[in-house]
Parts: sequence; structure tokens; C-alpha cells
Amino acid sequence: MPSKDMIGRELSSGSAVITAEHVAAFARALGDDNPLYTDEAAARRGPFGAIVAPPTYPIAFMVEAMSGGMETFLELGLDFMTLVHGEQEFEYARPLRAGETLTLTGRIGDVYEKSGSSGVLDFVVLETEARDADGKTVFFSRNTLISRRT
Amino acid sequence: MAGLDATRVTVGQELPPLERGPITKDDLKAYAAASGDPNPIHIDEEFAKNAGYKGSFAHGMLSMGYLGEFLVHAGGVGSVRRFKTRFAKLTWPGEVITCRGVVTGIRDDGTHRIVECDIWTENQEGERKLIGNAVLALPRGA
Repeated sequence: MPSKDMIGRELSSGSAVITAEHVAAFARALGDDNPLYTDEAAARRGPFGAIVAPPTYPIAFMVEAMSGGMETFLELGLDFMTLVHGEQEFEYARPLRAGETLTLTGRIGDVYEKSGSSGVLDFVVLETEARDADGKTVFFSRNTLISRRT
Repeated sequence: MAGLDATRVTVGQELPPLERGPITKDDLKAYAAASGDPNPIHIDEEFAKNAGYKGSFAHGMLSMGYLGEFLVHAGGVGSVRRFKTRFAKLTWPGEVITCRGVVTGIRDDGTHRIVECDIWTENQEGERKLIGNAVLALPRGA
């Protein structure tokens, strides 16, 4: 199970390349037809000069880029069978642009437990910061995962 | 095109709602593929039942994606500064989801009107699923 000792632990860092194809596929899966996400020509004429990503797009690369998906959950002591996403928070400096590479660093922001009618629930808060090539923060994410202790 | 006018926005004002759905199992498959979500609970009925649910349910992040589109309609691409939701209740295939929000605070930071909102999704019966808040920065220049 997750323990308080893990708070502040750095998770392995990684990088993510933002591609126009993946952004467009993600936008289409949401049913979002904004041309700034999907149409290269329209996006080039738009305010950002390139395809930009919808606000929740970081979820599509964060876990994978950080440390290889499911292994992270095991390392954190979370039970994958009962794992749910409890809360998600993003802070943005600007939209993500196709063609850029972001550097991601992660840490465990908090660990706590709550007792309820279904038993003990473990909460782990993962904090991820993404920086661009200039070292400027592009977004910050706080991802609260919950699993039921079995 | 933006739903909120920086010069006229008021506390208590509702954001233009956005309706999505009914959500289909194909929508969940498409979202799982595009987002790289490895959790079979959203696409494998048997897995979901073995985990104690009545069946597969939608990714919380799919609904948060709808809320993202809703905020961009209200403030424009690049306006979203902060965006937070709690996944309070599960969203099921067949449900029609409406994104709603209301302005709770307004301030200026020199170049932008900073608009705070409470936001949520609800199903066709008005049951709230995702509950959260957001901060939009609207350019002040007309």
C-alpha cells in the first residue's frame, strides 16, 4: 500500500514530442472539431501559428512519458484492479504546440487514506511539471489516484 | 466566437452549455485508443463486472475533455489558465452529458479579465458527474 514516506519522492523524468497527428486524433476522439487542433493550414493562420492541443491533451502522454504506465502504479503500491482517477487539476501558461518537445518531471505530491463504507481508500497525488526548450513551464498537473485496499 | 465578453461578463452569469452524447461504447474505444489509457475497465464489460461494476463506464478524462471544449467555447483557445475537476460520479454509456458553468468571481490583472467559474457535467436527469472549477483569462482589448 502507499505510505506517507513516499511524499516528495521524485518520479523518473521523461520527455514528450507533441505531434500534429496525435493532437488531431485526440481532438477527434473527444468529438472536438476546432480547426486549431486539426487543420494545419487554418492553425498556421491562427493566433499560435501552429496546431495547438486541447486543454486535457497532456493526459494522453503524461503517464507513458514519465515511467512506462502500469509499472508506476505498482511502484506506488496502488491496486490496479480498483484504481480510479479521483481528481485532475491543470494549470497552463499557454497551449501546447505541435512540433515542440516538452521535458516532464514528476513527484509524489501527497499520500493519504480515507475510510468509508467500502473499506480503506488510498489516495496518491502525482504532480507533473512540463517545461519547453527554453526551460519555461508550459503546464502543471495534479493527478489524484484512488485505489481500494484489499 | 467566444461565449464570454470581457467587458460585460458578470458574477452569476452562466456559460453557454455544451451537450455531448448519448455516449456510446465506440466513443469509449476511440478515447481509450487516442489517449493511450491502459485501463480495460472502460472497454471490457467482463473486466468491469469482475471489478464490481454493472459494466464498463466512461473515462473521467473523456468528460473532462468535454469540459475543456466547453471552456474554450466560453473563453477562446489559450484562455484556460486553471482547470480542476473531481470525478464525483461515474458516467455510463447511453447518458447524454451537458457541460455547465457559472461565473463566481472576476478580477483584472492589467491585460486580462480573470474569470473564475464553477463548472460541472450532468446527465439528462440533472445528476452531476464531474464537479470542479476553472480560471479563464479574457483579453481586455476589444
